Amino acid sequence: MSATATRARGATARTLPAKRVRWADELFAWALRLCVGVAMLFLAALLVYVVVRGWPRLDGDLVTAYTSVIRPETAGARAAIIGTVWVIGFVALFCLPTGVLAAIYLEEYADRERWWNRLLELNIANLAAVPSIVFGILGLGFVARMLGLGFTVITASIVLSLLVLPIVIIAAREAIRAVPGSIREASYGLGATKWQTIWRQVLPAAVPGIATGSILALSRAAGEAAPLLLLGGLSFISFDPDGLFSRYTVLPIQIFGWISQSREEFQTLASAGIVVMLIVILAMNSTAIFIRNRYQNRR
Amino acid sequence: MTSTSAHREAPARPGAQESPVSVGRPAAARDREIPDLVHPVFETISLSVSYGDYMAVRDVDLKIGERQITALIGPSGCGKSTVLRALNRMNDLIPGAHVHGRVSYHGQDLYASHIDPIEVRRRIGMVFQKPNPFPKSIYDNVAYGPRVHGRTAGLDETVERALTRAALWDEVKDKLRQNALSLSGGQQQRLCIARTIAVYPEVILMDEPCSALDPIATLRIEDLMHDLAREFTIVIVTHNMQQAARVSDRTAFFTAEVDEQGVRHGRLVEYDRTTTIFGKPTDKRTEDYITGRFG
Repeated sequence: MSATATRARGATARTLPAKRVRWADELFAWALRLCVGVAMLFLAALLVYVVVRGWPRLDGDLVTAYTSVIRPETAGARAAIIGTVWVIGFVALFCLPTGVLAAIYLEEYADRERWWNRLLELNIANLAAVPSIVFGILGLGFVARMLGLGFTVITASIVLSLLVLPIVIIAAREAIRAVPGSIREASYGLGATKWQTIWRQVLPAAVPGIATGSILALSRAAGEAAPLLLLGGLSFISFDPDGLFSRYTVLPIQIFGWISQSREEFQTLASAGIVVMLIVILAMNSTAIFIRNRYQNRR
Repeated sequence: MTSTSAHREAPARPGAQESPVSVGRPAAARDREIPDLVHPVFETISLSVSYGDYMAVRDVDLKIGERQITALIGPSGCGKSTVLRALNRMNDLIPGAHVHGRVSYHGQDLYASHIDPIEVRRRIGMVFQKPNPFPKSIYDNVAYGPRVHGRTAGLDETVERALTRAALWDEVKDKLRQNALSLSGGQQQRLCIARTIAVYPEVILMDEPCSALDPIATLRIEDLMHDLAREFTIVIVTHNMQQAARVSDRTAFFTAEVDEQGVRHGRLVEYDRTTTIFGKPTDKRTEDYITGRFG
């Protein structure tokens, strides 16, 4: 390249071109905003719709009164709220320890060279994709009839636990895998045993991820109606479920029951019930976020 | 904790706190009297380490002297870190890693079936390349080792002594409950050293402990190593030849060799007193490497 050519190129390079609009960039950003907007719009529409429709019945009776077939104007979801607490409480008790321990096995102990461990992983992923009604059928045949546990809180808890267990396992595995290997090395390097390393370093570091995944799984369980329809979740219970072997109902089934009624007052009641249910799930998700932030701030 | 501070010994090297790069640094360790290796702490006999089918390092014969600083140097992929990790059975944690030959520690076969690797790592501590404090408080980091070994009596003193020994106490004594990740990189690495010391090991293995640190922090760690060598046997892997020359008593030079099948293996080329390795090496490859003519 000659000296003049170099100088000429240098001269053009020194003048900065004016700013211009990059249409592809703009378009892409707007497409993203649109997608977020659609999601938000549906959520807002849902909320507004149920609050407006349920407004007349968002009162004290809604949470303190039992349901009724003759007086929907004073009926409430008391039995369903208590039933949900019982069922989800036991789901948490059954599936959180099992799920987290299974995840520890798969991440820290299982030798991936072995075919049975790979088979195990594949099947957990498959299990997460099984429709919930199938779990209902399994629960009816095996838990309710063969084990003879009947249509009780414990049957519902066991079936919902099986349903969300894969979600807990997958979330816990992700969280455990995200703990840096350098922390494990440091612990082993100080002469800690495998158990001490997992219990004192890996698990505490994985708590935010495990908590988030677990609560999302529990929210999913709290919103399930389909399997419980087969497992004796009744829409008419006028007493407080009081233990593992009590008959029960839960919020989604109560709402389903109300909607099936023809009278207008029941439609209002159902909308109000949906509001209660959303509040319950929102509260659970907030707990997850709270736990996650708390543990992250401690780092 | 503060009540004991009045009685504690002065930091082993006063002055280290005031000026990070002390002018009157101790004469390089290589000027010390270096005894012969009559009763070595470690002796490896044709040590080879493989990962699956791949032989990473082959036929290493090495003796490591008590309370000496031994540097393992060489280009990347020469197997020096692998050899280091074979000395406290850290390779056990890598699936597929296998150790051949013999590694003896005070005459006992480290890989004998009756040896507990947990106990091995307790006696032979390790400091890693990247500072890796636990995401916990400074205190909990140092207390972790004693706690997992059930030595919780006098924990405060143990923590203080370890931090003092690692020349970190004065910088952190008022913030022991703060998260260790809030410390600077150099402080974090000294914390990792303190954490190792708190277990009272006999040997400290250091895998490129300064490669993630700036020159000032590096010099502080080097000063600390000189100081610790009075009490501990130190083996350090380093990329930095000046560092090996500055801190070590003996130096082992490794290189990567390509065999008939075209596979690279790490080999030990030459092992001698550091003065000899850097002064008049016998092997041409060593000379080329230390003079910077290595390809």
